[in-house]
Amino acid sequence: MSNVGTSLLIGLIGFMGPLDFVIGSNMLNRPIILGPLVGLVLGNLTQGIIIGASLELVFMGAISVGAYLPPDVIVGGVLGTAFAISLGKGVGAAIAIAMPIAMLSLAIGNLTSVIFPAIAHIGDRYAKQGKPGGITASLWGIGLIECTRRGILCFLGYFVGNAGMKTLLGMIPQNVIDGLQVAANMLPAIGFAILLQMIINDTVLPYFFLGFLLSAYLKVPVLGVALFGLIIVVVKLHNDKSKPAVSANGSVEEDIDDDDDF
Amino acid sequence: MTMTSNEKKVTDKDLRQIMWRSLTMEFGWNYERQMHLAFAYMMAPLMKKLYGDDQKEYAESLERQMEFFNCTPQFVPFIGGVVASMEEENSKEKDFDVSTISAIKTALMGPLSGIGDSLFLGTLRVLAIGIAASLSLKGNILGPILFLLIYNVPAYIVRYFGVKAGYNMGTSYLNKIQASGLMDKFKDAAGILGVMVIGAMTQNMVVVKVVAKFGTGKTATSLQSILDGILPGLLSLVVLYIFYVLNKKKVNVLWQLLGATVIGVLLTVWGVLGV
Repeated sequence: MSNVGTSLLIGLIGFMGPLDFVIGSNMLNRPIILGPLVGLVLGNLTQGIIIGASLELVFMGAISVGAYLPPDVIVGGVLGTAFAISLGKGVGAAIAIAMPIAMLSLAIGNLTSVIFPAIAHIGDRYAKQGKPGGITASLWGIGLIECTRRGILCFLGYFVGNAGMKTLLGMIPQNVIDGLQVAANMLPAIGFAILLQMIINDTVLPYFFLGFLLSAYLKVPVLGVALFGLIIVVVKLHNDKSKPAVSANGSVEEDIDDDDDF
Repeated sequence: MTMTSNEKKVTDKDLRQIMWRSLTMEFGWNYERQMHLAFAYMMAPLMKKLYGDDQKEYAESLERQMEFFNCTPQFVPFIGGVVASMEEENSKEKDFDVSTISAIKTALMGPLSGIGDSLFLGTLRVLAIGIAASLSLKGNILGPILFLLIYNVPAYIVRYFGVKAGYNMGTSYLNKIQASGLMDKFKDAAGILGVMVIGAMTQNMVVVKVVAKFGTGKTATSLQSILDGILPGLLSLVVLYIFYVLNKKKVNVLWQLLGATVIGVLLTVWGVLGV
């Protein structure tokens, strides 16, 4: 069993995570931010920063795009960082712990979210009476349930889990832990694949390979690649503009021409 | 759309309020109508101002805001501005068809989510992680700070100008943009930037290392060095392609995560891949 006070603070970080969604979705609940907070609570800020960033890379694809709900990065990231620091096992262990926890938390979240539409319908009743206060209350009702769920999971997980995690990790052979690291190194590809599928079309496909090759052969860093991309976009838009004015109804044909001669 | 009077009811202050209230957009998310509660919360004060004299109209306007809504949060103030301009028109003109408000709102949601997600989640966020992670991995506190700044400064600029732009454009101007193909051009431009960055990140951050060797003893050749001679990161590309196909076939992401983990562990235990 872990210290109650520390567990409560870890739980508090989990509770605060979803509050970012009510103050502007500023990415404050990503592992790269919550990791350092966990590190601060456990007295090892540096490890928190490092592990948080590693988890961020692993979980990069885990972001809600459209209707897709990702594994729970908040609970997975907080507990993964917390256990990795308190057990002194580093990044590989953090990833091994965070991933199953994140999936478990998503499953629990799917269970609790069943009642959310019902709460939203309370808002409808008040809207019908011209009372916006009921809408606000429904909004906060759903949001706070999400905060509480994560807070409780983080608190309980850390409170009862520390000793259990320790024995569990001791039982895993080293090459399996290495294997988890190998797998973790591949996982960002899932996120990239999802993003690509969202953006890709015949026009932009070659530029994916341009970015890849710039990095592979010329070792251009990511920011450099983005700046090259910016130049390409500006040149492309400028070329479009310097052509005869596009008529409002001929835009579709024009677009195809542009793509061909670029 | 013809303005019946030039008198403006919506002030800058109202628009700023819409912007601030839009910050709640991902709170209260639910499967059924997704961001509708926060959208209604965002528009409610303006509805009171426009329709407050007539309780029935006011209630109807609130119900209208409770329809399904989902969009990249940073672009929501823009849509809020457009809706504000149309609701203002509706409150002035008796025979305004309110169904156009829903139609325009729905029509904007899709393309703006497309642009917004590729711009903010696909490009800016990935860029922010790319730059910040290299600092963070060395334990530098500037990493998380830089991450927040790179992502959020543009996000708030888009919000601040978005709400006014949306309001000023109203409906007719938006039609013009759509018809002139500007919307598509912008989407393409964001797409080019996005995929280039993803390409670079794939090469950088998807690491697949073969430790198996050909032959034995001193004549053994490392398979990895041969692959690197062809194209560094070739296997990263292969892994990405596999996931791309799986995604396209709508294989659940949880299964993909699980499968990748199992295969990664097995190949390591068998001595094919390594850290």
